[in-house]
Amino acid sequence: MPGFPRTVLLLGGGIASAAAAETLRAEGFEGRILLVTDEEHPPYERPPLSKEVLTGSKTGADCYLRPAAWYGDNEVELVAETRIASLDTADNRAVTGEGREISYDALLIATGGRARRLPGLAGERVFYLRDLDDAAALREGLAGLRGGRMAVLGGGFIGCEAAAAARTLGVEATIIEMLDECLQVPLGPRLGRAVSDIHRGRGVELRMRERVTGLVRGAGGLRVETDRGTVECDLLVVAAGMIPNTEAAEDSPIPAAGGVAVDGDCRTIVGNVFAAGDVAAQFQPDAGEYRRVEHHDTAARQGAAAARGMLGLENSGPVPHWFWSDQYQHTIQSQGLFDPQAPYVLRGSLSERRFTAFQLSETGRIRAALTVDRPRDILAARKLMAAGAPVTREMVEDEDLDLRRAALAGAAV
Amino acid sequence: MAGDGGGEWLKVYDLDDLWEGDMAGVQAGSVKVVLVNVDGEVRAYKDRCPHQEWPLSDGDLDGEVLTCVNHMWEFNALTGAGINPADSALVPIPCQVTDGAICVAPPD
Repeated sequence: MPGFPRTVLLLGGGIASAAAAETLRAEGFEGRILLVTDEEHPPYERPPLSKEVLTGSKTGADCYLRPAAWYGDNEVELVAETRIASLDTADNRAVTGEGREISYDALLIATGGRARRLPGLAGERVFYLRDLDDAAALREGLAGLRGGRMAVLGGGFIGCEAAAAARTLGVEATIIEMLDECLQVPLGPRLGRAVSDIHRGRGVELRMRERVTGLVRGAGGLRVETDRGTVECDLLVVAAGMIPNTEAAEDSPIPAAGGVAVDGDCRTIVGNVFAAGDVAAQFQPDAGEYRRVEHHDTAARQGAAAARGMLGLENSGPVPHWFWSDQYQHTIQSQGLFDPQAPYVLRGSLSERRFTAFQLSETGRIRAALTVDRPRDILAARKLMAAGAPVTREMVEDEDLDLRRAALAGAAV
Repeated sequence: MAGDGGGEWLKVYDLDDLWEGDMAGVQAGSVKVVLVNVDGEVRAYKDRCPHQEWPLSDGDLDGEVLTCVNHMWEFNALTGAGINPADSALVPIPCQVTDGAICVAPPD
């Protein structure tokens, strides 16, 4: 670290950058902060884009993390609609698309990701969902579509949430997914099935184990062709995951394949360069590997951790993982790194779709917990994980037991 | 007798039933209120998270930290100020303890 930074450059207009700016000021940093984003908006919340913005209960401006005046009041220079063309980490300098040079003492790469675009799936009535303008466009498409049909390619979080929003608006929805169940990648097939059932119960047509092979435009709509048939629809949402925007790091010595590699302080191998959010792959001692996490809370915590790292302040290691997804009135939450391949102990009822899956270590410590509609279990899991309190399979399965109290009492003995 | 918010004082709970560290959701007229007891200090807030209107009384009170169970937003239960995110805040309801009775004055 070449001394205390005077100028901090934050690349990216998401929650990670915003959290870094806030933390720097909250920790008393008095130097210069520049926040560069290629969008026209100030930093905003991404989670509502696949939920409330689509149903119309939130506008784009409602998603802004801070009112525009906040940046001036806190002396954060917001450089909007600006792309970084090149980065020289040896010389501590970034150059914008317009050729403006920005020198820095500390840099945060929080450039997020972009929607994975699929060949042949583009143009009118085809939507991708990543940023605020994408969400506003899809909102407009959905607004007049009551009784019409939206097809979604992909049964991941974004696809499921978009389908839920469509059904909430009275729009018919079809999810086309290559795997057996919705959310199969993060949840595994058995728990994913509960999510599939939630969507079925809301009238979503699920076309599982189907691959989209083409798109035909008709006079009034679209025909999506799959390897097993066709789906007629008015619009198509392609929710096929995201690709991290690692370009900024690619001309540097920083390993960036599949994510910009960082340590517990969100620091890269270049001492004054940090990364946070969707673009960052943080080393996870539990898993023994670098992992990229595409969730809001992790991005916020990593942005804050990077800011503290820049100021030479302590961080308590890699940030704990927690995420949520809202679909209809259901809430899915996860604490820790849930391994969809590993065994788990169930609390609650899978058939009633109200359960929490706990994954325990050999010593009975909770490694991860994932819930559908039992969020209090996640609160308990959080506390017990922080306390390192052991639980048994029997305790987890006994719904009449106050798990937290029982485990903390057991740990205290 | 009117409270600061212009509403009438309503007795909603016995202090004996709200131990230190306890939280309870109560109905006060047409308003749902969450009561907290932080080391003997009783506070009342609207029982709705400012994020998505989820009942705060479903959540968790640990020391001074009140956590909404829906999306884990955290608040200082004594001041109502947001902790994470910091720019949020609970809606306070005037509250007083008289002769062991917890009274609140929800706005009209």
